[in-house]
Amino acid sequence: MMKQPKHLDEEDLVLIYYREPGVAAEAVSHLSECARCKADFDALAETLNACLDWTPPEPELDFERSVWAQLAPQIVERPKARRWWILAPVLTAAVVLLVTGAFVAGRRSRSTNTPTEPVVLTAGLSAAARERILAISMADHLDRAEVLLTGLANADETDSAEFEADRLRARDLVSEGRLLREVAAGQHKATVPVLDEIERLVLEVANAPDHAGPAEIREVKQWIGADSLLFKVRIIETNLRSGRGQKL
Amino acid sequence: MIDREAFRGLVEQHSRAVFRLAYRMTSSHPDAEDIVQETFLRAWKQLKTYDGRAAFGTWLYRICANCSLDHLRSRKRAEMDDSEDPFRDIAHESPSPERLAMSVEINAVLMPALNGLTAMERTAFVLRHYQGLPIADISRALGVENNAAKHSIFRAVQKLRKALEPVRTGQ
Repeated sequence: MMKQPKHLDEEDLVLIYYREPGVAAEAVSHLSECARCKADFDALAETLNACLDWTPPEPELDFERSVWAQLAPQIVERPKARRWWILAPVLTAAVVLLVTGAFVAGRRSRSTNTPTEPVVLTAGLSAAARERILAISMADHLDRAEVLLTGLANADETDSAEFEADRLRARDLVSEGRLLREVAAGQHKATVPVLDEIERLVLEVANAPDHAGPAEIREVKQWIGADSLLFKVRIIETNLRSGRGQKL
Repeated sequence: MIDREAFRGLVEQHSRAVFRLAYRMTSSHPDAEDIVQETFLRAWKQLKTYDGRAAFGTWLYRICANCSLDHLRSRKRAEMDDSEDPFRDIAHESPSPERLAMSVEINAVLMPALNGLTAMERTAFVLRHYQGLPIADISRALGVENNAAKHSIFRAVQKLRKALEPVRTGQ
């Protein structure tokens, strides 16, 4: 007896119509060969295509402005770390220098028993405290990187003025990031690849042409999106702040 | 960083698209306008959670879908309390042969048919059919299992086909 072909059911046809991934290749080839399934598919497609004709009414001409007018009183600027932008990199660099200085000096003093200046600067700080300060400094750096990346990911490709502001922030992050990377290589190895990735991106932004056009801005946005860089930055930052960074 | 002024730009850029999605979810102009407000307000409060992986518009659509879902659910509850449901009459009205002549008729039948879907069916269908989101993204956006999103779409398609069949076949 000849085996009856298995026809496609409505669910198969819906998935094929929407080109959903995971539809078996046999189902698609069956559809092209079976007149009955093809007729079912055409009927389904006709109905679903007709649904596309339904267009919502257009809101009034100044809709955008009226949306903002109602929204504006409820949109309160958060006093985020924005004001930190100017001072924070300097502070972080100072903290990192202090901590690395203390590690170096600590090692030297153990071998020579001769106290040096950095030891005086960090006198009273335990190794755990220094480690914590370093973790916080790294988390702060990542927070600033995150703010920059989020801004860039949402940048208006035609707004070169905003991109210019991001470029200046990127320059601040380059030197700070390199300093942190040196320290991280010793104590937070798992953060090094992400710090490297951030460095490559901020360098690209920092060295962008004076009047970057939509193509350059789009390229940066694609870079951020393709590498899930923001996601990685957030995870590491959260770990560092919660103390899990020490186990990285 | 998206500050207030930058956010204003995003509101102006996306508000019409968000309105269209909200309207497709609710079939109601005033409800859609309320949802636009709610969507942007939630977006502002949740900016920190935006990870930049999806386009900003896609992220907004997800928020809008969830606002609409909440709205539809509360509307269904209100309808159960209120026997005077304006859509129920339309949904049960049999279109006359004159009215059954292509897209105008489709629209006349489609809106009540959409109103007859459950909140989840409608949201999943609109996101798949009009916004073009893959089922995996819809399940993530609505916080449900992949299969739940898939079956909501199947049920929605089934109900819509049943409602639209007379228009399609010209009966």
